[in-house]
Amino acid sequence: MGGAAQHAPSREGEGEAGEPARRPLAPVVLVTGKGGVGKTTVAAGLAHAATAAGRKAVFVEFVDGESGKRVLGRKSPVEHIVVKPAKAVEDMAAKVFGSALLSKVVIGNFAMKRMLQAAPALRELGQLEAVRRITEARPGARVVVDMPATGHGVAWLKAPKQMRDLLHGGPLHELAARLATDLVAPGRSSIVIVSLPERLVLEETLELAETMRHQLGLPADRLIINRVPSAIPHHALGEARRLAAGNGALKGPAAALVEVLAARDQARSEAVGALTAATTDAAVHPISLPLAPVDPRADEVAAWLIAAGAA
Amino acid sequence: MTAQIPQVLVCAGGGGVGKTTTAAALAVALARTGKRVLIVTVDPARRLADAMGIEIDADVHSVHLDDAAAGKLFALMPEPKQSMRTFAEILFGERPDDLKRMLDNRIYTTLGDGLSGIHDLVSLMLVARAVEDTEYDYLVIDTAPSRYALDFVAYPGRLASLFEGRAVTFFANLAKKAADDGGGPPKDEKGLLAWGKKRAGAAIGRVLDPRFLTDLAALFGLLALVRERFVQLARNSEELLLGNDTRYLLVTAPTGSATADVDYIIKKLERLGQRPHAVLLNRSDAEPPSWLRQLSTATTGVTLPIQEAVAVLAGEAEARSVAGNEMERGIAKRNPGLWMLRLPNIEARDPSQVVRALADHLSTDLTRLA
Repeated sequence: MGGAAQHAPSREGEGEAGEPARRPLAPVVLVTGKGGVGKTTVAAGLAHAATAAGRKAVFVEFVDGESGKRVLGRKSPVEHIVVKPAKAVEDMAAKVFGSALLSKVVIGNFAMKRMLQAAPALRELGQLEAVRRITEARPGARVVVDMPATGHGVAWLKAPKQMRDLLHGGPLHELAARLATDLVAPGRSSIVIVSLPERLVLEETLELAETMRHQLGLPADRLIINRVPSAIPHHALGEARRLAAGNGALKGPAAALVEVLAARDQARSEAVGALTAATTDAAVHPISLPLAPVDPRADEVAAWLIAAGAA
Repeated sequence: MTAQIPQVLVCAGGGGVGKTTTAAALAVALARTGKRVLIVTVDPARRLADAMGIEIDADVHSVHLDDAAAGKLFALMPEPKQSMRTFAEILFGERPDDLKRMLDNRIYTTLGDGLSGIHDLVSLMLVARAVEDTEYDYLVIDTAPSRYALDFVAYPGRLASLFEGRAVTFFANLAKKAADDGGGPPKDEKGLLAWGKKRAGAAIGRVLDPRFLTDLAALFGLLALVRERFVQLARNSEELLLGNDTRYLLVTAPTGSATADVDYIIKKLERLGQRPHAVLLNRSDAEPPSWLRQLSTATTGVTLPIQEAVAVLAGEAEARSVAGNEMERGIAKRNPGLWMLRLPNIEARDPSQVVRALADHLSTDLTRLA
């Protein structure tokens, strides 16, 4: 196989020509999905696509920065920002308490320290607040957030509303409320869910999209199915079966070939079937990205996404 | 623990490298030798659960996947959605009233599912309980598919310190003050510590409203009741993960992110005082399979469509081999002496067939691996 470039991105159940324009993405793009689906690569592709259209773009991650460096490459036009969770919480606390000194006293407090280490929602709020500030400081830019894979991101996005509703007033309540209206809200953020073309994984993904729509009021803007296997020429499988059914010396090897081809055929039809089901059901039309033998670069992914009208 | 402690094998690795399948294959290979094996999958894989004929719940099930392993292989795949409830049940099993209070607590129910690491912890607690009840020779732990999966090793300790008496009292007092609308710390305390406490108390009281603090204090109060039990369970889990005989197997595959994940996990293990026992390089066969070679070199009987398909597969095998070599060199350079085992790429319609085929491959190195 000559590499990823020969694959054309496609959308199941529709012709290649006359792609309808999709709803444009909001300034903030939150990319979610379970671990190992290629979330980071898609996020980098979406950021790169914006720079290809002459916009500024930021890639935000909450990790050590290594994954961003890897997918963006060295001379990327995309700005790469690493938000450290602990720092994000500190910044948020300074804001909530109205003074850095006071927030230091609070965060340094033995009980609070333990609370912050284990408590849910606070870290998420801090990280989202950091994203909000990054966006505010860069009008017109696309801010793509590579969200943590844990818990599929729902718990993460729920945090603003949860804290807003759990607290009835005060600065933390206000901060959470602002995040709920200014960041994690339709028109402010777009949700991009990355999934794989396996029936069960896809079912989980659709469930996730439903949860987001119901519990967060955020419909997914893009459903991206990564690593869709290319079709195996059907007659190859048929002929391999014939060879395996014979009595020649190649009976055994042919049987092994049949298994591999049949497995791919099954994966392919499972993917197509699941995608078709998703298409008829969901408000979002899934976008397929090809299965590349080696990791695709951000500009390659950007090209696929642009061709699919998904960028 | 009453039963003999099993040999623990922890499979760690990033997502998408075939970790769950590899862990299952390892368990099958061990069970085939007549050993009793329990495998726990932290991130439930429905496909594999179906193939194993087991349920995704809090119970240990006998696995029907391989005839030679029958009766020896057991699996536990806890359901993440049930973790909050299971966690409360484990802690408050003998206190039905407190269990109810816990499950009714507004903060616990609202924020609980966002408690990172809770599912991993619950999975471990269930395993710790299982190996206490029944004797196993091997315990295979398939961690969550993330480079951060090992973070939960430190999590029990962090939570235990949160339950610590002082913190609980602090929040309980704060809540009481807030409810009385008094504010401030007790008057008899002096010095810088008291000043800080007073400031912190006042500031927190201003930021969090009384009702929230009341719920928080109630939650802490409940947790304080079961602190010892929690600490014991956490210690048992920790022992399984960080015991002297625990072996870490890093599962990876030749992709860019997987390489970075391996480096990250190795560093993380180092900090925990562990060194990986082996790296299992999935989908990285150095040579194409013999059947593929036979088909590529055959002069008769192979029609054009088959030739085309074979050429595609051979090209992929070559790419995997090259990427595998490169990855192996890279890891070896950064980690001299680390044992690496390359495993083939296996494709089949039935996931259990993939597990069995991988188990065949692992059997030759089994004594060294486990």
